[in-house]
Amino acid sequence: MNFLRIFARNLLRGPSTVPFPFGPAWTPARMRGRVQFKLSSCTGCRACEQVCAPGAIRFDKTPEGLRFMMWHNTCVFCGMCEFYCPTDAIHQSDDWHMAHAVGEKYGMAIREVIPYTACTGCGMKTLASAPNPIGVVPPFTPEEVEQQRNQCPACRKKALAERGTPS
Amino acid sequence: MTLLQTLTDSARNLAVRSPWIYRINAGSCNGCDVECATTALIPRYDVERLGCQYCGSPRHADIVLITGPLTAHIKDDVLRVFAEIPDPKVTVAVGVCPISGGIFRESYAVHAQVDQYLPVDVNVPGCPPRPQAIIEGVAQAIAIWRQRI
Ligand code: SF4
Ligand code: SF4
Ligand code: SF4
Repeated sequence: MNFLRIFARNLLRGPSTVPFPFGPAWTPARMRGRVQFKLSSCTGCRACEQVCAPGAIRFDKTPEGLRFMMWHNTCVFCGMCEFYCPTDAIHQSDDWHMAHAVGEKYGMAIREVIPYTACTGCGMKTLASAPNPIGVVPPFTPEEVEQQRNQCPACRKKALAERGTPS
Repeated sequence: MTLLQTLTDSARNLAVRSPWIYRINAGSCNGCDVECATTALIPRYDVERLGCQYCGSPRHADIVLITGPLTAHIKDDVLRVFAEIPDPKVTVAVGVCPISGGIFRESYAVHAQVDQYLPVDVNVPGCPPRPQAIIEGVAQAIAIWRQRI
């Protein structure tokens, strides 16, 4: 009689085959898919480059600044970069629609440049990267982040000391 | 000319029903192979809805799924088996291993990328890609195969 039960269940619930690709596919909430990079939050600490086992992330010094490159065709979607990133600059979205024709393979990368700027304190050439928020109490306000972004490491330290934060 | 065209078109429409899939393991860690098997064998994903079936012989294949970073040990065998697959064939690289070498990239023991040796048509990145992503890649491969035949 068991088969009758299964038969009735299948009749009521429909097939267990997921409708994809003819319909939408269910994606788990914690799916680790395509990597997203948020340039304005990146501190340029290069922790993500250090922990990336297949070497999918690379930083290069260019005349314009520090260039971030990340290849989805090398990434093994381990999530280490997001885990070690001190800010929310690198994030794995749940987008897994990455199958592509071979002609598009060089487009499967992220290329961004953290530009050089002149420090507002001393005028030295420095990277316009976001400040590291780790251990800063109370946390940076958005204005402070913008102020620190345009300062060299020494002037950032000075500003932090004046703020009364152990750096 | 138009008659020939019509005949060719109807022959093509008859021929392009069901591509057969063949799977080459070029030294994969088995992760991608498990996902390929899942895609084909488990009713939940069921790639046969797209009209494809896995076949056991390279001589029957239309779409080739290749997994693994093409290890030095297996390279010659993979190339020999690949040469046995009749044209027109469409090659799908499943996982980041055949695409770039992935976690084994720049190892002395692997010859990735596979597209240095074989013409690859579709890349499915992931380590391993989820079954739906493989189905997506196969669907793209079928579209290419329909044009190519
Ligand atoms: S998810 Fe893992 S492999 Fe991918 S970029 Fe981040 S650290 Fe590298
Ligand atoms: S802030 Fe995050 S994304 Fe930027 S270099 Fe550091 S770890 Fe990488
Ligand atoms: S892509 Fe990842 S899961 Fe697939 S064969 Fe390579 S290492 Fe294994």
